[in-house]
Amino acid sequence: MRPSLDDPRVAIPAESTWYEPAPTPQTERQAEFLSLREGEMFVNMGPQHPSTHGVLRVIIKVNGEKVVDLDPVLGYLHRGVEKLCENADYHQAICYTDPLEYVSSLFCEAAPVAAFEKLMDVDVPRRAQYIRVLTMELNRIASHTLFQGWMALDLGGITPILWAFIERDEIVDMLAALTGQKLLYNYYRIGGVNGDLNHEFMSRLGTWMSRAAAQIDSNLALINENEIFVRRTRGLGVLDAKTALKMGVTGPNLRASGVPFDLRRDRPYLVYPELEFDVPTRDEGDSLARYLVRMDEIKQSIRIIDQVLHEMPDGPVMAKLPRLLRPRPGRAFGAVEGPRGVYGTYAISDGTDQPFRMRIHDPSFVHLQLVGPLTKGNLIADTMAVMASLDPVMGGVDK
Amino acid sequence: MAITRDPKFSNLPEVQPDGSVQLPATVGNTLWSTDDPRAYGGLPLEAHPNLELARYDATGDGRVDDARWGGALSAIPTKADVVLDLIRANSLWPLLSGLACCAIEMMSTATPKNDIDRWGMFPFRASPRQADVLIVAGTLTTKMAEPLIRLWEQMPEPKWVVAMGDCTCSGGRYKRSYSVVQGIDRVMPVDVYIPGCPPRPEGLIYGMMKLQQLVKDRRGHWPERAIGPTVPKGI
Repeated sequence: MRPSLDDPRVAIPAESTWYEPAPTPQTERQAEFLSLREGEMFVNMGPQHPSTHGVLRVIIKVNGEKVVDLDPVLGYLHRGVEKLCENADYHQAICYTDPLEYVSSLFCEAAPVAAFEKLMDVDVPRRAQYIRVLTMELNRIASHTLFQGWMALDLGGITPILWAFIERDEIVDMLAALTGQKLLYNYYRIGGVNGDLNHEFMSRLGTWMSRAAAQIDSNLALINENEIFVRRTRGLGVLDAKTALKMGVTGPNLRASGVPFDLRRDRPYLVYPELEFDVPTRDEGDSLARYLVRMDEIKQSIRIIDQVLHEMPDGPVMAKLPRLLRPRPGRAFGAVEGPRGVYGTYAISDGTDQPFRMRIHDPSFVHLQLVGPLTKGNLIADTMAVMASLDPVMGGVDK
Repeated sequence: MAITRDPKFSNLPEVQPDGSVQLPATVGNTLWSTDDPRAYGGLPLEAHPNLELARYDATGDGRVDDARWGGALSAIPTKADVVLDLIRANSLWPLLSGLACCAIEMMSTATPKNDIDRWGMFPFRASPRQADVLIVAGTLTTKMAEPLIRLWEQMPEPKWVVAMGDCTCSGGRYKRSYSVVQGIDRVMPVDVYIPGCPPRPEGLIYGMMKLQQLVKDRRGHWPERAIGPTVPKGI
């Protein structure tokens, strides 16, 4: 047992190894990172830090106020989800995946469900497809509003997060009326959704839709024209299209660099081909562009929800399926376009009722690699602005 | 790590090799003693008019609770305890340490709709030095356990722990995972458990109000609590 620091009887020698010693470098990159030049020093940030959006530890090499190099340390939230999924049957696996990205959990359910449905050749009823689109777009708005609040919070503004949480709580309460859970919905099933739309959800949604556009515009007006915000983010952490494609970036971060790739339009799934929406892009590739692309996506999501509510067909919400699912041996990849990028699941079946292997692809993990290249040469405080604009969620990074 | 004794505290009990201390931790009164000629108005102890106070101080009965104070102030224990605990209970400052999903609901608890500030629990402190309550919100993994224990050790006494969510209560949906601590009571003493995956903000408010009641109920019983985390071997 380690003695408590509060204990007055214990004197800790100055040369104590209380902090972990510097590791012996294993790779060339690590050796370069660990060598300090004149005037450089390491600053440790995390794993408990209000701006890391979870439990990320970042070792920053600084020279004065400038970031020279940066090394993220992952794994503080590794929960072994893939292994748990391989030991659960296909229905149970969905429940393990939705805490992955806890601000957009419906997308984390939708990806494995899409993969399993391909594996089993299930036709999802059209009403269930519309309900999925509706709930996913609602979740996208909730995630993007939280992003707006967090980004402003990391740049030093406290008001936008309070406003963002009002909108987010309204959406989440509405989804709770539909799914019964507030954060981890566990709503999608293989072959449909768990339960039809109910009256409380629809009445809450109607009330919210009547004021959503105006409310979100007023939220945006809080910081979109704020000179401090704009001048701190414009031209910061510029990501060009070529690097973005090479690093495997997807989602709004890619579209902010000028590549109009959206899975909803380019690899259509569910009923997206029947819906009209734009894919907002920006050419600048800086933090401000990444922020503005997300804000434009909110408006497109409201547009999609409006169309879905007008075109929602009647019918069943669940396909007729046996209770015990044993797909034929084979492999399938399902992917959906989430608020952070492409969420994918690659599932291999060996003919039993459990997936033989389930690989989860999460966009946050890819985007976290960019924090290092994008922050080099900037100020320490701008590290947070870059990281917030990439919007990683540690649950998805560490799985 | 080697434990060495600071000679300044040589009057204190021995720290056992496993890190435990046999006797209750007491810090001596080094400022003055009862046989100081200036003590009790210059009178000998037996001749002092307030014999009860003098006896109380001479026997050392008043010094049992040294996490808070020692000496003559303990002669008026009841009223001071009530007042101090009322202050503590109505100004519980939590530590801003979200781990996973529950952190979102914890943030939601602090924002306008639920507004935990109404009960004086709001200022989420980013530094453990300024915090009273550690709300463990989210799955605690084996890798995160050590930093979390360090945070808990850095918090000043008196301090409390709230286990928020199924994962921190028992392991929850990650019961069979190889990398999740199956309930944070394996690594630190827990005062309030809030089940739910995740608990609603109302649930967290209810748990924190239970903690307030507990702070008020436990007045005068601080020495019975273990100081520092009770970490079993092998974690």
